[in-house]
Amino acid sequence: MSAVLGEDPEVILAERRYGAIAKILETAVTKTDEKKWTFTDMLDHVFLHRALGIPIFLALLWAVFQFTFAFSEPFMVMIGIFFGWLGGLAEAGIANPHLASFVAGGLCDGLGSVLVFVPPIFMLFLALAILEDSGYLARAAFVMDRIMYKLGLHGRSFIPMMCGFGCNIPAIMATRSIENEKDRMITILVNPLISCGARLPVYVLISGVIFGSSYLAGTAVFSMYVLGIALAIIMALIFRRTLFRGKPAPFVLELPRYQVPTVKSTLLHMWERGKWFLIRAGTIIFAVVIVIWFLSVHPWAATEGGEIIEASYVAGLGHFIEPIFAPFGWDWIAGVAIIFGFLAKEVVVATYGMLLGTGEEAVGDALVSMGVFTPLTGFAFMAFVLIYIPCVATIGAIWRETNSVKWPLFTMAYLTALAFIVSGLIIGIGHLLGFA
Amino acid sequence: MITVALIGNPNVGKTELFNRLTGLKQHVGNWPGVTVEKKTGKCTYKGEELEIVDLPGTYSLTTHAIDELIARDYIVKEKPDVVVDIVDGTNLERNLYLTLLLLELEANVLVALNQWDMVKERGIDIEVDKLSEFLGVPIVTTVAPTGDGIEKLKEVVVKAAKGKEKRRKVVLGYGDDIEALIKKVENEISKDMNLSSTYPSRWLAIKVLEKDDEVLKMIEDSPYKNEIMEMVR
Repeated sequence: MSAVLGEDPEVILAERRYGAIAKILETAVTKTDEKKWTFTDMLDHVFLHRALGIPIFLALLWAVFQFTFAFSEPFMVMIGIFFGWLGGLAEAGIANPHLASFVAGGLCDGLGSVLVFVPPIFMLFLALAILEDSGYLARAAFVMDRIMYKLGLHGRSFIPMMCGFGCNIPAIMATRSIENEKDRMITILVNPLISCGARLPVYVLISGVIFGSSYLAGTAVFSMYVLGIALAIIMALIFRRTLFRGKPAPFVLELPRYQVPTVKSTLLHMWERGKWFLIRAGTIIFAVVIVIWFLSVHPWAATEGGEIIEASYVAGLGHFIEPIFAPFGWDWIAGVAIIFGFLAKEVVVATYGMLLGTGEEAVGDALVSMGVFTPLTGFAFMAFVLIYIPCVATIGAIWRETNSVKWPLFTMAYLTALAFIVSGLIIGIGHLLGFA
Repeated sequence: MITVALIGNPNVGKTELFNRLTGLKQHVGNWPGVTVEKKTGKCTYKGEELEIVDLPGTYSLTTHAIDELIARDYIVKEKPDVVVDIVDGTNLERNLYLTLLLLELEANVLVALNQWDMVKERGIDIEVDKLSEFLGVPIVTTVAPTGDGIEKLKEVVVKAAKGKEKRRKVVLGYGDDIEALIKKVENEISKDMNLSSTYPSRWLAIKVLEKDDEVLKMIEDSPYKNEIMEMVR
């Protein structure tokens, strides 16, 4: 048998199949003007260029966040004013003090402060939909994967990770197309480092607070996405050298054809991704907001109906864990936000909305006027939110896809450690450079 | 009800075609690997109800990747009435590989030659009748984004489901040397009634030669295990 099939029978049989196909096509297909330079060839010559590929990708990504910021700002202000007005109305108009506190403090300040971020999220998804439908995003993934492969990593990791810009869960599911189990595991483990839509509200809020102008703030958000990509590559390298030794499988990637995205499919795409944000706002975020609101106004007598937050249960919890985050220069609210943010990262924003006791002032303005963050501590906070434990749903997806409890637990542990290390480094290096 | 499986290489427009057939709005992405789980939808054609299953995009049907295994398991175990193989007309060399594998599985295959507009635009001249004759399967040309050929596809699917039994079996040869080996292994396998009544014995023989993990596991339980494995030693 080995005389006919050789060392690798699978390859020999595949060759024979291709031989049979070639024979069929010889008679059934004729091709004319085969050497024509297609539009795709021209664009690929630029986008996949060995030296220019990455700078082009970074430039486009940067432009995406500038676009996201600039176009959504006025709408965010409008929504913010609307919820502030609604909260004021509720406080004045609802007789029952518990209900008034819930509507004003829980719904308007908490949920409202999350819904303010509907415009940037939809803008980001619109921009990404255009990049994806045009065929560019697959190229960007290919350019990144070329580097990964040179570093000894799997070359098909970025395709699933790029779709993580929307949400990590489909990205983790998409790793099923990776043939080598070790390559697949590495890709799953580093996937949560790629920023998702739920982290965007946190980035937009904090960067807006610490940098003010949309130009710098957009760049700060962009830097978070790049930091995530860089950390994903570094961690993948570490995992390759330690947990999953071996050589990556060679990769073949078929690039889709370029096309002008249709308005309908782009909008549909944006809506499909964006609607998840709305669904989450109405379900998990809503539920967590109720819990935090409850903890922030009780004991009712001591807090005087939610007026004195410092006397509430949530403040007790916050002050209890405050020492952990004190070295970073964050207040106790940050600790509470981080803990509840495990359920959904948008909750970080809602927590600040509720606990700052902002009244009719927007959360961002309150953060500025109270001086909660310096540019340095704010930047470190953004990095922490990017890295630490991804949301509970992502952990669930890792559990399902790896079919073990060990890997989700490991992911939570390593990401938390990494979050402390990276944020600590940012603060430390910042101090050395003379930032406060 | 007629069950119809959609299969094809990644990014050939399977999900788009699925949406066209079922009127559903599944996420369509311009990158390979959008569908990793199978999705189902329904449609009717002249009173016939069709259940349509969108399988993950795959180049091959080996057991190396989970999505390939999902697709293969579905065809082998669920035995859909019709398997529509969606083929990118501009890249037949690679796309037909999967078609050959499906024919080996003795699935009731039907080819949808998609991106037919691009085929014409690029000046590729495909003699559809000839190709259909060679492969022994019906071929329908389609353009998923515009919906061209979708009604025809439904019609041919229903026809194929009804005429399942009288299909002409086309065997694409591997060359005399390998064919002789396949024949020998196949003879041994067909002695195991249990196996050969569940799966096509020629397909099992080819997979044994390829040392396919899943099929070798099945052979493990066969009373003819030793004889079969002797052949490939």
